[in-house]
Amino acid sequence: MTIVTGKAEARRTLQPGRPGVLRSIWEHRADYAYVLPAIAVMLIVIAYPIYYTIELSFFKTPPGLQLRDKTFIGFDNYTTILTSEVFWTVTWNTLIWTLGSTLISFVLGFATALALHREFIGRGVLRATLIIPWVISAVAASYIWKWIYHSDFGIIGAVLVGLGLADRPPNFIDNVSTVLPSLIVVNIWREFPFAMIMMMAGLQTVPDQLLRAAKVDGANAWQRFWHVTFPHLRNVSVVTILLLAVANFNSFIIPWIMTGGGPSNASHIWITHIYELAFGRQRWGVASAYSVLLFLTLMTLGYFYVRALTGNERKEGSA
Amino acid sequence: MSTIAETASRDRTRRRMRVDGWRWAGRIFLAFMLLYTAVPMIWMLITSIKSGFAATQFPPQWWPDEPTLASYQKLLDPQNSVGQDFLRFFWNSLFVSTVTTILSVIVAVPAAYAFSRFSFPGRNFLFFAVLLRNMFPAVIFLVPLFILMRVLGLMNTHGSLILTYLTFGLPLAIWLLKGFYDNIPVQLEQAARIDGATRFQAFILIVMPLSTPGIIATAIYSFIGAWNEYIYAYTFLSKNEQLTLPVGIQRFFSENTTDFPGLMAASFMMSVPVVVLFLVLQRYFVRALTEGAVKH
Amino acid sequence: MAHVVLKDLVKTYGTFKAVNDVSLTVNDGEFVALVGPSGCGKTTTLNLVAGLTPITSGDIVIGDRVVNDLDPKDRDIAMVFQNYALYPQKSVYKNLAFPLQMRKLPKDEIDKKVKEAARVLDMTELLERKPRELSGGQQQRVALGRALVRDPAVFLMDEPLSNLDAKLRVQMRSEIKRFHQDLKATIIYVTHDQLEAVTMADRMAVMNGGYLQQYDSPSQVFAHPVNMFVASFIGSPAMSLIPLEASTANGNTVLTSAEGWSLQLSPRNVQKVARATTKKVVLGARHSTIKLHKSAIPGAIPAKAYTVEPTGDVTFVQAFLSGAIVNISVPPNIAVAPDEQIWLEFDQERIHLFDGETEMALKAN
Repeated sequence: MTIVTGKAEARRTLQPGRPGVLRSIWEHRADYAYVLPAIAVMLIVIAYPIYYTIELSFFKTPPGLQLRDKTFIGFDNYTTILTSEVFWTVTWNTLIWTLGSTLISFVLGFATALALHREFIGRGVLRATLIIPWVISAVAASYIWKWIYHSDFGIIGAVLVGLGLADRPPNFIDNVSTVLPSLIVVNIWREFPFAMIMMMAGLQTVPDQLLRAAKVDGANAWQRFWHVTFPHLRNVSVVTILLLAVANFNSFIIPWIMTGGGPSNASHIWITHIYELAFGRQRWGVASAYSVLLFLTLMTLGYFYVRALTGNERKEGSA
Repeated sequence: MSTIAETASRDRTRRRMRVDGWRWAGRIFLAFMLLYTAVPMIWMLITSIKSGFAATQFPPQWWPDEPTLASYQKLLDPQNSVGQDFLRFFWNSLFVSTVTTILSVIVAVPAAYAFSRFSFPGRNFLFFAVLLRNMFPAVIFLVPLFILMRVLGLMNTHGSLILTYLTFGLPLAIWLLKGFYDNIPVQLEQAARIDGATRFQAFILIVMPLSTPGIIATAIYSFIGAWNEYIYAYTFLSKNEQLTLPVGIQRFFSENTTDFPGLMAASFMMSVPVVVLFLVLQRYFVRALTEGAVKH
Repeated sequence: MAHVVLKDLVKTYGTFKAVNDVSLTVNDGEFVALVGPSGCGKTTTLNLVAGLTPITSGDIVIGDRVVNDLDPKDRDIAMVFQNYALYPQKSVYKNLAFPLQMRKLPKDEIDKKVKEAARVLDMTELLERKPRELSGGQQQRVALGRALVRDPAVFLMDEPLSNLDAKLRVQMRSEIKRFHQDLKATIIYVTHDQLEAVTMADRMAVMNGGYLQQYDSPSQVFAHPVNMFVASFIGSPAMSLIPLEASTANGNTVLTSAEGWSLQLSPRNVQKVARATTKKVVLGARHSTIKLHKSAIPGAIPAKAYTVEPTGDVTFVQAFLSGAIVNISVPPNIAVAPDEQIWLEFDQERIHLFDGETEMALKAN
């Protein structure tokens, strides 16, 4: 019997010289091939733009993106932003928009999920119908609602007048005090189905045994919800709220198409404002500085986002 | 004796009333949500079959006196310029979305598989980097990408959109698919490899067929995302013959501000493909979306 | 069929050593069980042999080839998994045919072999079903069929019975044993159930903490456990291990308990105790070697019955002695009540003595 051991010997003598991490990377070199395409695409379209945005935020840029003519001006762009009055209006709007949309979407979605949790005839059809607004394009949604809010021929105005609640159709989106809430209603229309889907899936994981045990222990419907169902859904809720918050913070289409940020900035949020600064007024440097600020805000949110997600992974690992 | 029975029955009635109270609250709430969801869509449909004159009446005609499909005919008629434009936008959207979808699946499948199966150094870091991408809004990338696309010579091409949409869809696609792969027992692949398959064959012959629902879900998600995307298309494309539907419609109707029936018909037709796709495959879609977030 | 040699096999994950210098030889046609508690490294060892996990160092020989760097598919092995790992989208027929297709056998030959395997395992009528339409026992049989259809050099089995219910497990146990005898197959079988290992294997390798503890025939392992771990792991109920202290007075060595009693030793056992590294000695005795008396006799040690478990043909009594639980089996006609005073007599020829410090068995010479 001959045993060929040359290859094994060679490998064994190689190992001690290599530091641990590098060796480990080397041993797994084939695994990276699977993620390489994804990483490559991300690097081009993400890492480079982030770098470029940060760089540009320290420069004064001429209009028309003749970027060879840019001049370094330090933090001037940032001071310009923070001392402008518009910044504070827009920030306030963003806050209202994000919090309002997120919380109401979540509560409506969760409540719908609870109401749909019980089996009844037509549940599937109802659920599918409720999800549709989430699937259709935000552009279509914006036009549909613009038409509904229309100051002359809008259906809501007509109903209000018909019921005698108004003398003539109110102008919802051309009015500084009603424009933002009106847009939030549209946004919620598109987003509550997402919360609903997530919470429905979450509800299915609530252990039936626990609910029955609570029932035996004498808990009523509300107590069962509060002490069993809700704590069990804590993780899903956190993830859902964070995803909604990020999406809302980043939304653009609805305010842009419905009002373009007007009237007099009453519906401008950060994203639409940045877009207008960059592509409307061609103030690339200021827009970049704005983006960096946005970026920092999101990093803070992102910290919680990742923590919520890793919290899940950790729990899964120990279970 | 009788008093005990009475109290018991009264208790029961009270309990039933309480249960019924919750149930009725639920029903009323659902009815309200259905109205909120459906009325705008129904109004869109009703408006789309009105004439321009009928749409601009006050009080509105709840049902058009003379329903007409004129708006649809105009949009779908290749003979007139409106129809030509609309059909071209439709075709552009279809092309961009389909290519994006195919590429997304090709790139996301191996990546998700690797994140689920292998424990290479930096795996967690890369995974969260991928997820973090989800955090950042289109606008942050808009200016630099605008410049990048000019440098790459992709301005005014569908390539610029496909490349951008690809990265947009990838994080979630990878996340969704990873959830699926996590649920496929690793022993199946091990068995296949022992039965004579290479690692790659085990993946193609055993794992891929099992993850078909996940792949379908990922594909729909990418498709819907690309179909509905507006901001990049709005920024990267300026030539009329290249526009995708969301931008095309906006361009077109900013010129014809009062053609509400046409606008509603166009909105409806733009929604049809994604809604149909979604309704047919919603089972996979909902499952995939929730798999990752809820399973843990 | 072929023999398998593991030489100084090591597998580390970061700083964690899952398998430590394991060396053993499985002869051609031998049935070897790897047995140990969960996390002892037995499944990792099996995966190393299969090639599913790359080895850190050492050698694996199957037949006359070193297979360290070969893919699983090139090692000429078959494996049966705990969860069966049947391909859920394929019918039973296609599950059985898959290994043959991968080896590019002609279609008619595949068909012949699959049908033959189905006949041997008595599942011809199940061929068109999908795995999820089968019972646990049937799935297990398909998994077995998929392994044997290919006639591999070595069969690897990873806890193949632990997902079955108790009755089916006993039945499949004898089927696998029969299968081994008929095919003269080389089998490496991983289990955490010492009873499976004892009843089925020609030799068993007891593992703990990544180390191979003892590798011998079940009867030898049972009769001569090398250390306290093996002694307590093999046999049911477990061997009683009583911590005592050796003391010598007037040239007479006895084992004394903190409870005050002491145990006289035979000359051979005195020799053993003399080899202990410290005074601490652990007395080991299997339930069947301890005699229970209901009245005091010379040399017997007083104890109190704690629980009494009649099983029908034998009654198990548990008592505390020197802080350890002692299991005794008595014929069912002897009635013992909980808390009753009893006296225990140890058989000097059949007790085991362990070094209290190293936990190794003490030997006479």
